[in-house]
Amino acid sequence: MVLRVRIVKGEEARFVSHLGFMRAFERAMRRAEIPVAYSEGYHPLPKFSFATALGVGVTSEAEYADIQIDPGGPQISVEEALDALDTKMPPGLAVVEACSYWGKPSLASRVEYASYRTSACPELKDAASVFMGLDTSTGTITTKSGQKEIDIRKLVREISVSDSDALEFVCACGGRAHLRPENLLAHLYSIAGADPNGKRFRIHRTGLFFVENGDLVSPMAYKCKDLVIAKGWKPKELS
Amino acid sequence: MIDKEILYEEILPQVSQPVRYAGNELNSVRRNASEAEASIMLAFPDVYEVGMSYIGFKILYEIVNSRPEFVAERAFAPWPDMEALMRLYNLPLYGLETYASARSFDVIGFTLQYELTYTNVLAMLELAGVPLRADARTNNDPIVIAGGPCASNPEPIAAFFDLVVVGDGEEVIMEIMSEVARKKREGAERSDIVDSLSEISGVYCPRQKNPVRRRVVTDLDEAEFPRKFVVPFLEAVHDRVALEVMRGCTRGCRFCQAGMIYRPVRERGLHNLCSLADDLVKSTGYDEISLLSLSSADYTQVTELSRRLVEEHAKRGVAVSLPSLRVDSFSLELAKELEKSRRTGLTFAPEAGTQRMRDVINKGVTEEDLMSAAGDAFESGWDLVKLYFMIGLPHETDEDLDGIADLSRRVLELGRSTARKRGKAGRVRVNVSVSSFVPKPHTPFQWYGQNLREELTRKQNYLKERMRMRGLSVSFHDVEASFLEAAFARGGRELAPAIERAMALGCRFDGWSDRFRADLWKQAFSEVGVDPSKWANASYSFDQQLPWDHVDMGVSKDFLRREAERAAKAELTPDCRAGVCTGCGACTDGARTRLAGKAWR
Repeated sequence: MVLRVRIVKGEEARFVSHLGFMRAFERAMRRAEIPVAYSEGYHPLPKFSFATALGVGVTSEAEYADIQIDPGGPQISVEEALDALDTKMPPGLAVVEACSYWGKPSLASRVEYASYRTSACPELKDAASVFMGLDTSTGTITTKSGQKEIDIRKLVREISVSDSDALEFVCACGGRAHLRPENLLAHLYSIAGADPNGKRFRIHRTGLFFVENGDLVSPMAYKCKDLVIAKGWKPKELS
Repeated sequence: MIDKEILYEEILPQVSQPVRYAGNELNSVRRNASEAEASIMLAFPDVYEVGMSYIGFKILYEIVNSRPEFVAERAFAPWPDMEALMRLYNLPLYGLETYASARSFDVIGFTLQYELTYTNVLAMLELAGVPLRADARTNNDPIVIAGGPCASNPEPIAAFFDLVVVGDGEEVIMEIMSEVARKKREGAERSDIVDSLSEISGVYCPRQKNPVRRRVVTDLDEAEFPRKFVVPFLEAVHDRVALEVMRGCTRGCRFCQAGMIYRPVRERGLHNLCSLADDLVKSTGYDEISLLSLSSADYTQVTELSRRLVEEHAKRGVAVSLPSLRVDSFSLELAKELEKSRRTGLTFAPEAGTQRMRDVINKGVTEEDLMSAAGDAFESGWDLVKLYFMIGLPHETDEDLDGIADLSRRVLELGRSTARKRGKAGRVRVNVSVSSFVPKPHTPFQWYGQNLREELTRKQNYLKERMRMRGLSVSFHDVEASFLEAAFARGGRELAPAIERAMALGCRFDGWSDRFRADLWKQAFSEVGVDPSKWANASYSFDQQLPWDHVDMGVSKDFLRREAERAAKAELTPDCRAGVCTGCGACTDGARTRLAGKAWR
């Protein structure tokens, strides 16, 4: 069985890098005595994988991991696993949903979109609707290999502005096409002709999505069973 | 309390590795320091990843926080980018647990593991807003205390500390916390509290320059050891369950300060260690248990302990490792036990290249020991062997340098011929690390000056030329840094102004080769008119008063002198564990050699 979990990375763990997050998760699995399968050979490693990395400083309520459960190990139900894992997570991290996954493709290979919410930025309201009205909009993004000019519009599925002037947007995420939320915001600032310097916006990832027949679906809704939701959990509003 | 909003929204998004400064780790103890009867900021004058690797730091943290009436928080030296922003935003040094500012603690306790952290100590005090010099502090300032191995010669940094704790910290830290709490209840003034703390055994007060005898924990099984560690999000240098299997080493290497000042050998019991390991693995989730001590392979029941730990933990993917091995106590049996869980590179420390030199330093190992240990290692499948050597030791000649080159080459050749049978000869690597001898107080070599820097450089070049070979890589310690380390190790109070000046000029993280600024240090010494070579290079005579003579670390000066004389004749002194007492004087205050599973000797 593959145990699929949804993890919240909150304020206290905001500055933890992706590598640190993975290490913390691996240790939590060990503390929780999750019967995880190990790779064969010389240097056995627990078999688990994450959907996609999150930038340092960004909070999230939509980090996903798949854990390969050892078929020879002790039986564990999805509910037991969620409770055990969540209890053993370090400050700032929580497991809020879990299910069993019965498909083949890995999380990372299926994720195509991510949704984010920012802190209030009224100065970008107009730029957002201008941007959405364009067919293409070329801008500069930063990647691992440096700066690059690309069509940013193509990577953004939707943007809306909340009552509190927070931007909520859905953009490409994953191996095929990826847009960092900071890059979109910087682009909107340039459209608005405003100076982002000195402005510290907060970014919160609210969802990760697969695409099925053109629709966004949650990783928990694709070939999954036994969905368990942690008591008292509901998506959080960003302060 | 510092402004968390400024920290999180303004400062941390701008620094490298912000998680160093955010705290919030698993098992960190977050209680309100201002409500405690006594509080201490445990300050480590190096970066987070380094400080979080020290077991002594973890022990003190756990001991204090296990008492509900006391609070300990941690602070590490901020990396220069963070320090600059802290100064820009006027953010003081703070504890990682509750972001309490340094000045709100009753005590700031620095761990001094290494001489080249002294400028960081001063930078941290400055960031804390505490006057650097003890005599400038007033009633509202925290009491600033130092401990750790560098406290065995506290004189170069004496001016900056109200008190210095010498020896094992487990008991004395509780005595200090209790006394602070008691005095606070009485409404005592700060100076009164300092005076009263200075009467605790093992506590040195630089202002009084009182003779002080090191504290020693007689029975490690009775001493507290953490059952949980704070688990960093950021990978620490040693990021694993560190199980201190014993304290002290009586092998008697004559250059080794730790081998002198932590005597006698006190082993933890097997059952205790297994139980600690069990709890620590469960509470941390680490995937590695490291058997920690000065010479873990000498732990009486090391094979049995390794076997039990592997048996219990390997199934959960937890490896068991030894940080370094002595060539004469390495056994194939032990290697096999460890191999079951996971392979890491093996490190051996022959320290010197010829038998004569190894006898001078009382290393007591032979070339056969090394070759057979290395052979066993290659035989069991290790491809990487690391060798540690030292140059500039007393009585060294160029023949001893030739010996280092020869020995390294022979180990490499042995590895190649062993691996060739598996068709893997090309994979064998020998990494040789060559450090420069730094004479340390309380060792038989304390009287010897360090080789001049020109001489050390010549010796490094001499070795480089003789060790060019595929599969062999050699690295050297920075000569200027070793020179500075020697000056601070053997120096007196005259050095304090140079440290202050170097800090003001911007010296930080002097132990980091890429941050070390020999030019600024040179400028600092010249501006304050102090010649460091007077301390680093000068040989002291046996009859001379030494700057650290008032600090009694257990071993007697007579013993050290006898050992220095035996060194000159290349005479070995056997380990007292084997039977005969060497009369070193460390078995005082109830301390005796204590071996696991055996009666007191």
